[in-house]
Amino acid sequence: MSRYLLLLTLTLPFILMSVLSAITKYKLGHSTKNRLVTQLILWSLVFIGLASAESIYNWLFQNNLTQTEPLSLFDVIQITAIVIVFYIANRSLSKIEVLEKRVQDLHQELSIRLSAKK
Amino acid sequence: MDKRNEHLRVCVVIPAYNESSIIGDVIAKIVKVFKNTPYSTEIVVVNDASKDRTGDIARKHGATVIDHVLNSGAGGATATGLSYAEQKRFDIAATMDADGQHSAESVLRGVIEIIKRDDDLLIGSRMIDKKGMSKTKIIGNRGLSFITYVIFGISSTDSQSGLRIFSHRALQELRWKTSGYEFCSEMLWRAKQQNLKIGEFPIEAIYTEYSKSKGQNNWNGINIVKSLLRRRIAELLG
Repeated sequence: MSRYLLLLTLTLPFILMSVLSAITKYKLGHSTKNRLVTQLILWSLVFIGLASAESIYNWLFQNNLTQTEPLSLFDVIQITAIVIVFYIANRSLSKIEVLEKRVQDLHQELSIRLSAKK
Repeated sequence: MDKRNEHLRVCVVIPAYNESSIIGDVIAKIVKVFKNTPYSTEIVVVNDASKDRTGDIARKHGATVIDHVLNSGAGGATATGLSYAEQKRFDIAATMDADGQHSAESVLRGVIEIIKRDDDLLIGSRMIDKKGMSKTKIIGNRGLSFITYVIFGISSTDSQSGLRIFSHRALQELRWKTSGYEFCSEMLWRAKQQNLKIGEFPIEAIYTEYSKSKGQNNWNGINIVKSLLRRRIAELLG
C-alpha cells in the first residue's frame, strides 16, 4: 500500500466525522449556515490537500521546487496525529461554547430565582 | 408599540459592581424622573457579586435586586437583568450604568423615543453631542465603533454606550455570549442577525471623578477587540 494512500485511509474517518457532524448540527438547528459553510470549506481543504499530496510532491520535485524526501512512515503518523488533534480541538471548541452558554444561563436563572425568594 | 402609553411597563436595569457610594442616588433620580410619567416602572439592580453593600443600599432605595452568585461582568449582569424583564413581560427595558454617568432624564427620553420611532434597540449615543467627553474617551469610543464596524459590519457612533432601550421584541430575541464589556458590540451584531431595528439618540454623559475612575480605559479596549475577534472566529468554527 502506498504511504500516501495509507495517510488518506487513516485521516479520512476524522474528516468524514467532522463533515457529518457539521451537517447534522446545521440540520438540527444547532448551527448557522455560515458555520456549516466554514466547516465544509475547512475540511474539504484538508481532504484535497491530503488526497493530492502525492501529485503535489511529484510536481514540486520535478520542477526542482523541493529537495525533500518522499513521505516516510513517520511523516504519515505525524500528519495523522495533526489531523486528529485538529479534529479534537474543533470538537472541544464547540463543546466549550455549549457548556459556557449553559453555565451562563444556569447562573442567570439561579440568581433570578434566589433573589425572588428573598 | 400597539399599547397605549399609560399601560406600558418599563423596566430600568442597572448592572452594578461595587457601587455602594452612588447606587442610592442613581435609583433616587430614576424614581423621581419616572414618578410623573404614565409608565409603570420597576428598577432592577443586578448586583454582580459586589464586595460592598451595593445590594443592600439598592434594596433600601426601593429597587428590585438580583444578586449574582458569581461575578460575571457587565455583559452577564445586563443579560440577567434583561432576562428578568423578559420573564416579567415588560414592554420596554432600559439599561444604564450604575456609576452616575447617565442621567435619569436621558433614560426617560430614550423610552419616549423608542415608542415614537418604533425601533427595537435604541442606543444612547454620547458621540452625537460630545460635551464633557475627554479626547482620550472620544478616540477610544471612535476606535471601538470602527472595530465593531470592521468585525461585524455594524455602523454606530457609540457602540460602547451602556444606555440602551429595548423593545419587547428585542427582549425576546436578543441574546449574546460574551460577558465582559465586549457585549456592547456583540449585542449590536446579534440585533443585526435578528433583523431588529437599531436606532440612536443623543445623550449627554456626566463625567465625574467617580465615573471616570469606574469606566473602561483605552487599554481595556485591546481586551475587548481580542475577545470580539475570538467570538467572531469561534462563531465560524464552532
